[in-house]
Amino acid sequence: MLRLEEVSKNFGKAGVFGVSLELAPGEIMAVLGASGSGKTTLLNLVAGLLKPDTGRIFLGPDEVTHQPPEQRGLAYVFQDHALWPHLSALEHLLLVMKKPDREAAHQLLGRVGLAGLEARKPHQLSGGQKQRVALARALAAKPRLLLLDEPYSALDPVLREELRLEVAALLRAEHVSALHVTHDPDEALAVADRVAVMEGGRIVQVDTPTQVYAQPQTLSAARAFGRLNLLPVQVQNGWVRLNGLAWEVEGLQSGPGLLAFRYEDLRPGPEGLEARVLAVYGGRGERLCRVNLGIGEAVVKLQAEPGEEVRLSPAGRLRVFEANC
Amino acid sequence: MSPHRLTTATFWLLLSLGVALPLLVLAWRGLGDVAILPRVLDVAGVSLLLALLGSSLCLGVGGGLAWLAFRARLHPGWDALLLPAYLVPPFVGALGFLYALQLVGLQPYGVGGILLAWTAHYAPVAYLLLRPALESKLAPLLVACEVHGVTGWRRVRALLPPLFPALIAAFGALYLTLLGNFGVPAVLGLPAQVYTLPTLAYARLFSPASPDPLGEAAAIGLLLGLLAVPALLLSSQPSGEPSPRLLRPRLVWVARMGFGLFALVAVLFPLVGLLRRALFNTFTGAFQPAFWAAWELPLVRQGLANSLLLALLATGLLLLLGLLMAPQRGAMKRLRQVLDMHYLLPGTLLAIGLILLLAPTPLYATPWILLLAYLLNFAALMLRSIEAGLEAGIERLVEVGRLFGLRQGWAWWKIGFPLLRPYLAAGVFLVLPLCLAELTLSAMLYAPGSETLGVAVLSALNGGLFREAAAIGLMLMALSLLLLLVPRRGVVG
Repeated sequence: MLRLEEVSKNFGKAGVFGVSLELAPGEIMAVLGASGSGKTTLLNLVAGLLKPDTGRIFLGPDEVTHQPPEQRGLAYVFQDHALWPHLSALEHLLLVMKKPDREAAHQLLGRVGLAGLEARKPHQLSGGQKQRVALARALAAKPRLLLLDEPYSALDPVLREELRLEVAALLRAEHVSALHVTHDPDEALAVADRVAVMEGGRIVQVDTPTQVYAQPQTLSAARAFGRLNLLPVQVQNGWVRLNGLAWEVEGLQSGPGLLAFRYEDLRPGPEGLEARVLAVYGGRGERLCRVNLGIGEAVVKLQAEPGEEVRLSPAGRLRVFEANC
Repeated sequence: MSPHRLTTATFWLLLSLGVALPLLVLAWRGLGDVAILPRVLDVAGVSLLLALLGSSLCLGVGGGLAWLAFRARLHPGWDALLLPAYLVPPFVGALGFLYALQLVGLQPYGVGGILLAWTAHYAPVAYLLLRPALESKLAPLLVACEVHGVTGWRRVRALLPPLFPALIAAFGALYLTLLGNFGVPAVLGLPAQVYTLPTLAYARLFSPASPDPLGEAAAIGLLLGLLAVPALLLSSQPSGEPSPRLLRPRLVWVARMGFGLFALVAVLFPLVGLLRRALFNTFTGAFQPAFWAAWELPLVRQGLANSLLLALLATGLLLLLGLLMAPQRGAMKRLRQVLDMHYLLPGTLLAIGLILLLAPTPLYATPWILLLAYLLNFAALMLRSIEAGLEAGIERLVEVGRLFGLRQGWAWWKIGFPLLRPYLAAGVFLVLPLCLAELTLSAMLYAPGSETLGVAVLSALNGGLFREAAAIGLMLMALSLLLLLVPRRGVVG
C-alpha cells in the first residue's frame, strides 16, 4: 500500500534520513519515537506537505514523490484536529467526499458516535467530539492511506483509551491502511499491527509491538517502550558476572555495556542476585519496587515491602547493548 | 542562482524600485535644494521636539490607562470610551478642540493645542499597543510577584524591563505618526505661525513667494524622512495573548474614572465644541444648524463626491488585491513589506514624491493621482489585515483541505475566503474611513475639481467659514465612528 525507498529530508540537525518502509493493505503501523525523532516529518513527507530531498514514495503501484497533496488520495487526522471552524460536522464530511452523499455522511457520523450532532460547528463540540469529527472526515474521504499524528494526545486518559480502541476497530472494519505517529508505547501496543521505531530521523526497528517490546534490537528501540532498567556491566564471552553470580546474556558478547531489562524480567528465586527493596510503588494494578541490586538500582515488578531482602533471577536471557549506542 | 530565482529576484527588485520611486525622486530633488535646510532647521527642531513630547504624553496617558485597565481587569467593552477619540480623523478632533477651547476662553492655537489634540487622538493607540503586551508579558510575572510577596521597588524591577521592548516599539510607532501628522498642526498650528515639517512643506509648496516651491518642499520632505527613518527600526508591533485569569481586580474605580475622564476630555469636550459651533449662531446664540449652509457650498459637495468615489475605489481595489494575493502568502508578505514604506513614512513624502514624478503626466491634477496615492498609502494596511488572518491559521486549514483532495482554487473558495471574511471586513472598515477623511495627501495633491472632503474642511476654515467647517467635521466624525462596529477581539474575556 505504501512504500518508502531511502527517503531523506534534511533540516540541518533534524530531519528524516534514508527511511525505507513498507505498509501492507489494511495494515496499521505505529511510528514510535521520542520528540524530534522525525515522526511527524515522515508523515508530512508521505502526505506531500514536504518534498523529500532524495528517495521515492509509492502509494499502491503509483509513485507519488512529486505529486501535490490533493492528488495523493490520503486523509490526515491531526493532533489539533485542524477542523474548519465555519463548517458543521456534516459539512466537513460532505466537503471531502468525492461525490457528496448526505446519507452516507449521516451514517458515518453515527458510526463514530456523533448522531444528533451533525449540525454542530467545532466550537460547539467537546475535545473528544472534535476528534471524532476529524476521524469521520478522514474516513469520508475514502483514503488510500490514513495518516494519524498523535491524534489522542490532547484527550484525557479515559477518553484516549476508549477512542483509540474504537478507532482501531473501525479502521480494521473498513480495511483502511494507516500510519499512526505516537510517542505513547501503550497506544502503539493497543492499535498497531507493526511498530516502526524512529530515532534521530532513522528507523531503527520494524516489527510487531510485542516483538519490539520483548526483543528490541537497539537501545533506542528498547527505550521507546519505557519500563526499562539499564545497568552498566562488563560482558565476557556472552556472560556477565554480578556479585559472584554469572548470567548468560544476548547482544554484546564482550566489553563494557548496558544490561537492559524490563520491570517484569527479574523474578524472585532462591539462586538469584541479592537485592534490598528501597521503595514500593502501587500503580495500575501492579506492584513495582525500587531495589538496590548491589551493582545499581532498578525497578522490578515484585510483591515485597520496603526494607525487605529478596533474591532476583532473570526470567530469560537478558540483553546487553553497547554503552555508547 | 537558478534562472527562475534570478527572474524572481529581478522582479522583486524592480517592483521595490518602482514603489520606492516617489521617495527616490524626492531624495534626488531634495538633495539639489539642501541650501534651504539651514533656514528650516528651527522648524525641524520644533517638529522633532513636538513629536518627542507628544509621543511621551501619548505613551504616558495611553500607557497609564492600559496599566489601570490591566490591573482592574476591565472588560474590553470599556475600550468604547477611548476608541472614538482615535477613530475620529485627527484634524476633525483638532477642529473640535479649536472650538471647545475657545468656548472656555483658552487660546487653542500653538504648541499647547497641538499637544492636547495629539494626546487625545493618539493616547488610545498607545493603549491598544500596550494592553496586549501587559496581558501577555506582565500578567504571569505579576502573579509570581504577588505569590512570592515581591512588592515596592523590587516589583518595579521585576516588571518593567520585560516591558521595555513593547514600550520602545510603541514609542517608535507614535513618534513616526506624530512626526508625519499634518491635520492637527494645520488646524491648530498654521494660524499661529507654528510650523512643523509637514505643514511647512505644504506652506512652501503653495507659497507664491517661493522661487522653487517644489524643490524646497522636497528638501523639507527629505529632512522629514531623515528624522523618521531611525524610528522605523523601533516600529515593530508588539503582540500578546490573553493572560491567565488569576489576577485579582485592583483599582477598579480608579480605572473606570480614568476611562471616563479621558472620554470627557478627548471625546466629549471637542464634540461639544463642534456641536456648539455647528448648531448655534456664533453671534446671536440662536439655534441655527449650519449643515444646510455647509451642503450648499459647492466645494463640500464636490469634496464629498470625490472622497466617496476615491474611498470606494481605493478600498475595492485593495480588497481585490488582497483576495488575489491571499493564496500566495509569501509573495503577499513581500509585497506588504515593500509597500510598508508608504504606510510608515509620513504621507508628506509620498505626496511630494508623486508630484515630482507625475507632474509632467496627464495623471497630475486629476483625482487619479489621489487614487494612486491612497492605494500606495493604505495598501499595507489592508494586506496586514489579511496577513493577520493567514497567520491565525487560515492558510493551514486550506492546506488541510488540499490534503483531503480539494483543488487549490476550490479549497480557497470553500475554506480560505469564508474564514478570511472578518479580516477582510476589518481591512475594509479600516481603509474606507481613512480614505474618506484623508487630508495629508489630499491637501498636497488636489487640484480644482479633485478636492476631497478633508480639503473642503481646510478651505472652509481658511475662508473663515468656521460653522460650516464644524458641520462637515461632525459629519466626518459620525462617519468615522462606523469603525466602532468592527468586531474586535478583546484581550480580556
